[in-house]
Amino acid sequence: MKQRRGQFSRGQLALLVLGLVAGLSVVYVISHEVFGGFGSLDTQPDYQAVLFVNALVGISVLLFVLELRWDALRVVLTVIVALIIGYGVTAAFNLDAAARFQRGEFRVQLQSQAEVPDVEEMDLEYGKARGGEFNQQNAPEPLTEASYRFAGREGDTVTIIAAVTRQNIEADLEVALLDESGQVLAESQDSTAEQIEAYRPDLKSTKDAVIENFALPADGVYTIRARPEAIPRSTQISEMLSKTRLAYEAFLLGPLDGVLRWSFWVQDALTLILLGLAIAIVFRAEQFSLGAEGQLYFGALVSGVLILAFGDVPKTLLVPIALLSAATAGFLWGLLPGALKAYLGANELVSTLMLNTIATRFYEMVLTFQLQPEDAGYTASDWFSSAGILDPIVENTQVTIAVFVVIAVVIVTWLLIRRTPIGYEIRMIGANIKFANYGGVNSRRTIMLAMAISGAVAGLAGAHLGMGIHRKLILNISVALAFEGVVVALLARNNPLVVPFTGLLYAYLRTGARFMESDANVSFEVVRIIQAIIILLITAEALVTFFRRRRILRRGTVEIGTSTPPPLPGGGAGVPSDTVGSEEGAHV
Amino acid sequence: MFDSSLFQNVIEGIFSAAFLASILRVTTPILLPSLGALISDRAGVINIGLEGTMLSAAFTGVVFSSYAREWFEAETAVIIGPWLGLLMGVLIGVLLASLLALFHLRFKANLILSGIALNVLGSAATVALMYELTGDRGNTKGNLNSMRMPFIQLPEFLDEIPVVSFFFRIFDNQSVMTWIAFIAVIVVWFFMYRTPTGMHLRAVGQNPEAAASVGIRVQRTRYLALLLSGVLAGLGGIHMSMGYLTFFQRDMTAGRGFIALATPYLGGGNPIGTGLASLVFGFFEAIATRIGSLEIPSQLPQMVPYIATVMALVIYALQAQLTVRVRTLRSAEGEGFDAAFWKAVQRLSVLHMLLALTAVVGIIISVSMFSTPDGFGGVDTAIPNAAVIAVISVVLIAINLPFIIQVERIGRLPWWYSAGTSILSLWLYAGIFFTLFLLAISDTVGLSDTLTIVGGLALGLVAAIMLWLRLGGQYLMRTRHYAAPAAV
Repeated sequence: MKQRRGQFSRGQLALLVLGLVAGLSVVYVISHEVFGGFGSLDTQPDYQAVLFVNALVGISVLLFVLELRWDALRVVLTVIVALIIGYGVTAAFNLDAAARFQRGEFRVQLQSQAEVPDVEEMDLEYGKARGGEFNQQNAPEPLTEASYRFAGREGDTVTIIAAVTRQNIEADLEVALLDESGQVLAESQDSTAEQIEAYRPDLKSTKDAVIENFALPADGVYTIRARPEAIPRSTQISEMLSKTRLAYEAFLLGPLDGVLRWSFWVQDALTLILLGLAIAIVFRAEQFSLGAEGQLYFGALVSGVLILAFGDVPKTLLVPIALLSAATAGFLWGLLPGALKAYLGANELVSTLMLNTIATRFYEMVLTFQLQPEDAGYTASDWFSSAGILDPIVENTQVTIAVFVVIAVVIVTWLLIRRTPIGYEIRMIGANIKFANYGGVNSRRTIMLAMAISGAVAGLAGAHLGMGIHRKLILNISVALAFEGVVVALLARNNPLVVPFTGLLYAYLRTGARFMESDANVSFEVVRIIQAIIILLITAEALVTFFRRRRILRRGTVEIGTSTPPPLPGGGAGVPSDTVGSEEGAHV
Repeated sequence: MFDSSLFQNVIEGIFSAAFLASILRVTTPILLPSLGALISDRAGVINIGLEGTMLSAAFTGVVFSSYAREWFEAETAVIIGPWLGLLMGVLIGVLLASLLALFHLRFKANLILSGIALNVLGSAATVALMYELTGDRGNTKGNLNSMRMPFIQLPEFLDEIPVVSFFFRIFDNQSVMTWIAFIAVIVVWFFMYRTPTGMHLRAVGQNPEAAASVGIRVQRTRYLALLLSGVLAGLGGIHMSMGYLTFFQRDMTAGRGFIALATPYLGGGNPIGTGLASLVFGFFEAIATRIGSLEIPSQLPQMVPYIATVMALVIYALQAQLTVRVRTLRSAEGEGFDAAFWKAVQRLSVLHMLLALTAVVGIIISVSMFSTPDGFGGVDTAIPNAAVIAVISVVLIAINLPFIIQVERIGRLPWWYSAGTSILSLWLYAGIFFTLFLLAISDTVGLSDTLTIVGGLALGLVAAIMLWLRLGGQYLMRTRHYAAPAAV
């Protein structure tokens, strides 16, 4: 049913309100966290710019809700499910979190006022100390228990201290004194606050062990046995959970811890949004081109070479020209596989993967043999002149005027897909290429153009990496970023207005994972596992119906009209239910 | 002609037994997943996740073979360890492939996107697990004491026989994985073309509806194809970490899983061609390693197979178009259709395209000589040589191009037009090939320099003529019949 302009149905109104509430609360929370409260806003440099970018984040949330409607729920649910699975993975990686209580350098001290007996080949004597490291990480044969022998006379009063060597070592030690037959004469697991005070600085914490003023019962050789205390299972589990919680806190809140960390998130998001838009355009036309990587390299290369060659040209001229040429380079590098696909039917997946490698190698070659300064210790170009870099809008960060470029590209892409004939043709081809041909669409030209335009956007992403973030050309300027763009486009359902939100969301997870690694020592790769799960869950169209059908089968009744009949198991002799993928895989 | 030290070194080195052996070595991890890609592709469910599958298998192999030292006695561990690693690696390959199959075939997830997910998963999970097990994010060197797959020693007496000894030096002391890879080519060929299941597999890939209508189980066949591709990718991954190395390195497959997607296209969609295409990739990778000096960009030879693959895609597409036109012609002509003649034309058109394509390599060589003359013996020798190579390459492309642009010309022009161009081009390649080959074995047989060159050129000419006749020249010479195919 078509709504007249200016009129909203109740559902639309509800969505609008929901989107506004979600957007505003996101803006509030992000700003509040980043500034650490709004109390001392004036002391923050460029706080208006930060607030402005946060407002844009809010708008992206609003667009996400308005554009995807109830599908947004599925996206959010998918991300939540993936995050929960990721939580499990993180917990699994922290199974040995309690192991730190059994690990670390230690020293065993033997103190006594008595005279040292004259016995050869002992490990310890009065007034001396021995040490080592328990359960050293990656050691071939880790030390789990230390035994030292010493000679003593009847009546000698000894004090034995087993302590860690540094305050920050968390090992929980215990110590025991054994006689020659192996009988335990005295043992200690912990020390009291008074003991720590008395034996400062040898005793470090209450977890260290001390046997105080023990009078030896006879002459002979005694053994001191020091080892880490056994950890009860309950401690192991609680340690694992608390470490996982800490890791996830760093993961989910880390990017909001101050303006600097916030800027890492935003700059990463800008790249991902551009790549997401590039992928969304080709995916809209049902073309599985993964050429964004190569187009990015060419965009970065062309803009970089221009800036390095014409560094004196005024900024107002140089920056637009560099951006445009990056887009043109990407356009041409996308045109090639587009033409191959459109006019020859060459598989675009294989051709773009090949062209990616060609572009990467070419970039490496030019960088190594032409751009790298003679005296450079590593492979990188000179720094760009100040005329060639995008100006930061927030002081001391890489959040640059690229923000406006990205906004422009989002709007242009949206107009292109929704409001132009070529966009209409792209959508037609994506929906049904046979029908599009029948309707008079020049599908060859459209496919070629779609891949080329996508290349132009990817080229801009490359320029942003060079001019905005690194400010020079470096080796491996992108590490498979195009695949990250796939996730962004996929979450956004290839909708250009939703890409900003999903780009921000995914960049948030990526940045958070970095802080999880640095703050909580949990591998960054957890986020890539989450990424894989998101892709699998979001593309598995039948997963929803699969669960619904199972529920129906369990109930034993089938509601006619609400569910499609299940296909014959194993394909059967019936007509196989085909998907896009099977056609893609067939030989061209 | 080439008196520059490095270049001469490279050219002579190309036909040394050691270099050919190294080609086999670097081809193995490309060939195995390529066969996997081929099987899955021919069943219509191309497995994009080969890269991630290889990584997972490589890592699993390292982990299990190193833990085997703890689980078994020292002597048994050395024997069992590598094979246990292989088994577990293949198992993980099958597991990941079945995950892909489950999501694509059961849950109707997009094949390509779930393949990408598999790659991300493989790359991420291996690094994360490595970090957990060893505390290192780069590689497992020194932490996990992995094992190496055994090497196959050939009987020593073969080294005594003159010409055989050359081949002995190539094939002796190769990893068992290399043998497995090349045997797999034959096995896969037998499977695809000589077993009912293989035929079903090809039918499913070509036209699933038609296959289903004659009672072939489409889903089951595709499951099988994906699982087989998982097995082969797993073997390839094992070779990466346990074939020559004894450790796992993050992302150590370095895109081989993606190359594997392209080799079936370069190889014309059959196992033998895929094997040859993998050798092409292996050849250029070995060259790139060989000239890995700072003076010559090693990126140029590295680019060649990728450019070749893009061109192969073009050839493939042109061939498909020609097939359609020939089919139209067949239905138009009915009884009078000369199938052998048209098959010959099709094969010859591929030959022309391959010849022109190979000349592109010459252009790349000359470009690299122009750009870095120092690496090829200085400006004085490198520039003229580069010019000669460039001219020859351009001529080769130019004389073959007419037959590529318009395939009918092969049949329309008198037979010796096609014969002349293709035999001339082939002669050049085959002549160089045989001369270098004779040069390589001359010290074992004892040939003079003149005899080497004359013999090489003569052998080259014979080979060129034989190949042309065999590919279809005989039909071209015999048949006067020609009718322009109807436009499609």
